[in-house]
Amino acid sequence: MVIRELQGLLFMACAGAFLSFGPTNATPAKETPWLPDAAAYRLTLFLGSLEPLPWNDVASAWSDTHRNSEFSEGALAWLRDTSDVDTGPLLDTIENKDRQALFAAATQLVALRIEEELDRALDAEDPATAQQAVRTAREIYRAFADGIAAADPGAARQIGLAWLELNSATGSAGVLGAGGTPADREAMAEARTAISDYLSANYLVDEFAPRQILNTLPETVVLTGRSVEVPPSLPPGSDIFDQDPLPLLVLNFEEQGIDESDLPLVAYGDMLFDSAQIFGSPARDLGIACSTCHNRSDINQRFFIPGASHQPGAIDVDGAFFNPVFNDRRDDPLDIPSLRGLRFTGPYGRDGRFASLRDFTRNVIVNEFGGAEPTPFMLDALLAYMLEFDFLPNTLLTADGKLTGQAAEAARRGEAIFDRPFAGLGDRSCASCHVPDGNFLDRQAHDIGSAEPAYAGARAGAFDTPTLLGTVYTAPYFHDGSLPTLASVVDWFDESKSLGLSETERADLTAYLEAVGSADEPYETFDAENTAFRLAFSELTTFASTLDTLLPRRDAEHILLLTDTVATDLSADASTMSNLTGRPEVYALAERLAKVGVAVRDEDWEAAEAHWSAFKDEARLIEERAF
Amino acid sequence: MPIQWNRRAALVISAAGMLSLATRLAAEEGRLRLAFIPQENPQKLLGDIEAITGWLSGEIGVPVEGFVTIDHAAAVEALRNGDADISFMGALPFVLAEAEIGAVPLLSEVYRNAPSYTGRVFVRRDSGVESLADLRGRDIAFADPISESGYLYPLAEFMNAGLIDGPGEAEAFFGRVFFAGGYQQAMQAVAEGLVDAAGASQYADLLLTPEQQAAVTWIAESEAIPSHLVIARPGVDADLQRRFVDAMMRLNEADNRDMLRYIYGPDGYVKADPAAYDGVRDMARRYGLLE
Repeated sequence: MVIRELQGLLFMACAGAFLSFGPTNATPAKETPWLPDAAAYRLTLFLGSLEPLPWNDVASAWSDTHRNSEFSEGALAWLRDTSDVDTGPLLDTIENKDRQALFAAATQLVALRIEEELDRALDAEDPATAQQAVRTAREIYRAFADGIAAADPGAARQIGLAWLELNSATGSAGVLGAGGTPADREAMAEARTAISDYLSANYLVDEFAPRQILNTLPETVVLTGRSVEVPPSLPPGSDIFDQDPLPLLVLNFEEQGIDESDLPLVAYGDMLFDSAQIFGSPARDLGIACSTCHNRSDINQRFFIPGASHQPGAIDVDGAFFNPVFNDRRDDPLDIPSLRGLRFTGPYGRDGRFASLRDFTRNVIVNEFGGAEPTPFMLDALLAYMLEFDFLPNTLLTADGKLTGQAAEAARRGEAIFDRPFAGLGDRSCASCHVPDGNFLDRQAHDIGSAEPAYAGARAGAFDTPTLLGTVYTAPYFHDGSLPTLASVVDWFDESKSLGLSETERADLTAYLEAVGSADEPYETFDAENTAFRLAFSELTTFASTLDTLLPRRDAEHILLLTDTVATDLSADASTMSNLTGRPEVYALAERLAKVGVAVRDEDWEAAEAHWSAFKDEARLIEERAF
Repeated sequence: MPIQWNRRAALVISAAGMLSLATRLAAEEGRLRLAFIPQENPQKLLGDIEAITGWLSGEIGVPVEGFVTIDHAAAVEALRNGDADISFMGALPFVLAEAEIGAVPLLSEVYRNAPSYTGRVFVRRDSGVESLADLRGRDIAFADPISESGYLYPLAEFMNAGLIDGPGEAEAFFGRVFFAGGYQQAMQAVAEGLVDAAGASQYADLLLTPEQQAAVTWIAESEAIPSHLVIARPGVDADLQRRFVDAMMRLNEADNRDMLRYIYGPDGYVKADPAAYDGVRDMARRYGLLE
C-alpha cells in the first residue's frame, strides 16, 4: 500500500465510529468517495424521507452523477456496466411514486449488489481480483453500516470481523512470485456466509415494515418495534465545508484594537455562532452552526445539501430536513445572505419580516434548526457578537458612498447611470433604493418582479433591499441566486424594467457595481505562519476566555455549552494541523477543557477553577512552542 | 448469477488489449508507455492518466501513453515483458523488480519535505496498550502482506523489540493477524475496536474522522522507509528516459504543481538515489523475499 492513499485526507463515514463520542464538532470531515450505486441508495433514503417527496430528485439520484462524484457516470449506467442486478423494479417504483416500494426495491438492489461482488470474490482465481471484489462489496455495504451499528452493535462487529477475515483469506499474489500466499477458500466461504446470512435476514426480505423515516435499520430490529435512532448523516453530494478562499472577518472592536477576550459577552456570542450545540438534531449532530452558512460573517458559496439546496450557496431552512415541525412544504430555497454590516441591514429575513434581529435569531435557532429555547444571555451574546460585523473596507468608496479618485473611469460613468431616474423604475433611480450614503440599501422591501407570484393575485414578491457592499464576493445574486454575475443583474434590470441602456452603459453600470461591491482585502490570507489551525486555535482559546466571567458566576448552563463546544472543536481541529507532532498536546488541552465541564457537572467548582487555570497555562505554552 | 460484461472486465480487457498493442508500440521508437497502479477508483485514475500523459507528451515531445495494471505485480510483469517502459511503484516491489529484471529507479516521491516516511503501530488511547509487548495475544490488522509501511516495517518493530523471532512467528505472538486491504481499512478496524492494533503508514490516522484521530495514538515507529518511486525497465532509450525525468522534475515548479494531483498527489519528486533503498533490500531479505 502506498502513502499516496492518504493525500486526500479521506475519512470513511462509519456511523459506528461516531456513536461513542460526545458533542458533535463543527469541523466537517471529507468522506471517502461513494460508489455510484451506494451513493444513489443513500440519496434515495435521504430524499425519500422528505415531505413532500422530491420524486424528480430521486430519479436523478439514480440517473445522474451526484455532486462532486469522482465517477463519470450515474448509478444506472454504472450498474449497466458492472452488474447483472435488475434495476427494473426500482425504476417502476419511481415511476409509480410508491415510497415504500421504492425503499424495498432500492434496499434489495444494494443487498444484491453486495452479494454479486461477494460471488465474484469467491469465484476469483487470483488474489488481486478477489481483493478488488471484496473492496467493492465492502464499499457498497457501507450504505447499510450506520443502521446496523446503531441497532445491532454486536452484528456490526461480527460483520466487521468477517470483512477482515474475508480480505485476509484472499491471500496475496506477492511480486514476481515472492511473498505470495494462497487463498484460504474455506475461510473465505465462512466469512462470506456471516455477511450474507445477515443481509438475507435483514435486507433481502420479501416485505419491509413501513418506515416513517427511510433508514438502514436491519429489518429484524425494526420488527421488534424497538426504537433505535440512526445518527443523522448527509447524503453523498452534500458539502458543508467552509468556502475556499475563506472570507475575511471584519469586527468593529478588533479594528479599534480592542481584544475580544476583554469582551466576554461578544466572545461568548462568537462561540455560539460557531456552536452546533445551540441547534437541534439533525443540524446539531451534523455539526452545522451559524458559521457553516455564514463563513466569517459572510456567505458560504459551496454549501449544498441535496433536497434542501437547489444550487451551491443556497438552502431551504423551512423545509422537511432540519425541523419537520417548521416544514412549510414549499420548495423555496434561498441564496445564503451575507451578514456583514448586520446592524445596518435590518429588517431581517429576505422579505424583511423581522424588524428585530433578536426575534430573527431566535427564529433561526428554535424554528429553522429545531434548537431549544435560547436563554436571554445566549441571545444577548449572539447579538453582541453579530452587531460587530462590519463591511469590508473599500478604498474605492468614500464614507458617504461616493466613488473615490481610485475608481476607474467606467465606474464613474456607471455612477451617473446609477443616480439617473428611469421611467421603468417609476421615475426612480437605482440609488433610490440602494442609497449610497445609507450603505446602499433603504431598509425596505420592494416587489421588483424577481419572484413568480405563488398564486394568482398574490402580492408576496417583495424582498428586502440588499446592500451592494461586498457583493463582488457573494455571487450569485437575487433571493434565489438566479443571476450569476453583477453584469447579469444589470442586464436583468435593463430588460425587465426597459431601461434602454446601451451596451456601453451596461458595462459602465456593471463597472460601478463592481467598484461599490469591491474590497481591499476580501479573503483571509493563510501562509506558513497564519495557518487555518492557528486561526481556529486562537478563536477557540478566545471563546474559552469567557470562563473567566462564567466560572465566578457559577453559571453552569452556559459553561457547559462552552466546554462542550470548544473542547470538541479544539480536538477536531487538531486534525487540520500541519505540525502533526503537535497534535497530542492539543488533544491534551481539549481534554483539560472537557475536565472543566466534568467538574462543573459534578458541582466541584474548585476543581473546575483549577482545570481552567491549568488550561490557560498549557494553552500559552502551546502557543509559544507550536507557533 | 452469471457475470457477462461489466466495467471491471472491460477495464481489464481494455488494459489487456492495450498491453498487446503496447508490445508493438513499445518497440516503436519515440513512444513512452507508463504503467499505473490502481487506486480505490480506477475510473478516476483513467481520467488522471489522460491528463498527465497529455502533459508529458507536450513536455517530452513524443507520444506518452498510460494504462492501469491490476496491481504492483502486474506492473512489474509489464516492465519485464516490455509492455511498459516506466511504472509508478512501491519501494518493495521496486527492489524485487530490480533484482529480477534489472529495473532502474528514476524518481522518488516527496511528502512533507522528505522522500521517506515511516510505519507505525497504532492503538486506541483507551485500550491500555502502551508497548508492543502489551499486544501479546491481541489482534492486529495490517494493510497488506507486501506493504512496506503497512506490514513489513511495523512488524519488524516487534522483531527489533525481541518479541518475535522472525516473520513466520507473528501468528504465535498475536491473537489474530488480519490483512485489512489498505491503510484505511486497517485504521478503521482499530478505531472501531475490531482489533487491538493496526500497522500502517505514519500518516494513516489522517484517514480517520477527526473524532477517531483523537481516540487513536501510536506506540511504535519504524525506521525511515524510502517513498514510492518511478522506475524504468532496462533498455529504455537513454535520451528519452532523461527527457522523461527532466519533465517529471518540472512538476516541482510552481506552474506545474497542480499536475501532481494526477499522479497520486505527492508534494513533488527528487531524482532517485538507488542507495536510499538499501534498507528496503535488507528488509526484503529479512522477510525472505530477496536472496
